[in-house]
Amino acid sequence: MGFLDVLMGKRKLAAPAADRLFAMSTAYVKFETELSITTAGSAAIVFQPLATADFSSIVKDMEEVVRATSADSGTAVETSDDSYGYRWLILRGPDFDSLVVGINAVSSALEAGGYGERVLCAVFGFRDEAKHPLYWIYNYKRGLFYPFVPAPGEEQRNVEREFVLKAQVGNELPVEAEHERWFPLWGIPI
Amino acid sequence: MARKTSFGRDRGLEARMVLTLFLLGLVYAVLIGALIASGAGAAIIAIAAGGLFLLQFLTSDKIALLSMGAREVSPQDYPQLHAIVERLCVQANLPKPHVAVAQTAMPNAFAVGRSPRNATVCATTGILDLLTPVELEAVLGHELTHVQNRDVMVMTIASFFASIASFIVQIGFWFGGAFDDEREGGALSFMAVVLISAIVYVVSWLLLQALSRYREFAADRGSAILTGRPSALISALLKISGSMQTVPRQDLRAASGELAAFYIFPPKAKQTVASLFATHPPLEARIAALQRLEAQLQGTA
Repeated sequence: MGFLDVLMGKRKLAAPAADRLFAMSTAYVKFETELSITTAGSAAIVFQPLATADFSSIVKDMEEVVRATSADSGTAVETSDDSYGYRWLILRGPDFDSLVVGINAVSSALEAGGYGERVLCAVFGFRDEAKHPLYWIYNYKRGLFYPFVPAPGEEQRNVEREFVLKAQVGNELPVEAEHERWFPLWGIPI
Repeated sequence: MARKTSFGRDRGLEARMVLTLFLLGLVYAVLIGALIASGAGAAIIAIAAGGLFLLQFLTSDKIALLSMGAREVSPQDYPQLHAIVERLCVQANLPKPHVAVAQTAMPNAFAVGRSPRNATVCATTGILDLLTPVELEAVLGHELTHVQNRDVMVMTIASFFASIASFIVQIGFWFGGAFDDEREGGALSFMAVVLISAIVYVVSWLLLQALSRYREFAADRGSAILTGRPSALISALLKISGSMQTVPRQDLRAASGELAAFYIFPPKAKQTVASLFATHPPLEARIAALQRLEAQLQGTA
């Protein structure tokens, strides 16, 4: 945003930086082999649904495409709306790379339809050795990942584990350096 | 080939501490030179300052504990706190210090004592309520490292000459006029000593602040080495520091409403001059250093 834009109150939403999403596929190799972290078999993309007709049709087309391509890889698709008014497109399947490809397909379709700014983030679900859930959230607007480890209790997170994760995969994954931007997603449905 | 997973020596930090101590020594040499040049009164100043130093040396821990309202507690009163301190002392090969608790909601922990043999570690009830046991262990590891490094003694000795310098300045203000009949130019030379003392005091104070900051970094390192969990200390520091700089609790979907348009965060004010006067390094610097340690530990540095 330039100076003139600031003066005139122009607002430009950042376009999603989808290219770094595939870093997660490379990082997953390290997760599995060195860190004993396995996929929970689910990933989701979170976006703000618009009430326009072409947006709904894009979402429908997208779901069709994902269902079609995922039929062979065994990936299931479901959508749900949350209490914040955001929609979750959830992919479930055993093959992690298919999940990444599917998520990328969805974000590309939204972007192609001109709705890239509505995409909030992508979430990848994992389980550690002790079967506790942990998540990597991809912030499209920053093109960076950050960890999110829920802890027992109401809206609690295990900050220490998150910093350890960041240190472990910092070389494989572009991780958000500013921890003030590690916003949690409470009540993740994956 | 085995991966190195332990922490290396932090040569940069060590070098900076050595340099600071050296500069302090240089500054004090100037002061001593000025004292010798002034001649009369130096002996009195030395004796008075020596007496003050001894007093400070012997009683400062009791005063610090009293001022915080800290009371020594038994293992029956605070079993978990004692257990954490004991485990850390085994790990650090330190004799177990006295354990005290201060009744205040402000989260804080500190250690006093000029040697590991007569040290006290104190935690406030605020910090005991705020942190998880793992985070508390990290914070107490930081304090025990101060004890192990004899930081209280080092800082007391380092500040000894700064105390003399400030003492001289005060004498100069009170008695400046009374020395002019001692000898030719006596008043002038005494005022020169006072002036030099003032400069020594200011410069040494800045250097002492710098030394204090470096020793804080060293204590953070010590905690990471003792517990093996640098990220636990990061988590504790973030909790203690309050909500501005911490990992957020606000849901991404709630935050995005206001921020989606701008993605501007309040710019972190550049702290340059202000940081010269701080006894502790800024939180971001400490967290960055701890993250480097974690990366070293994970073998990804």
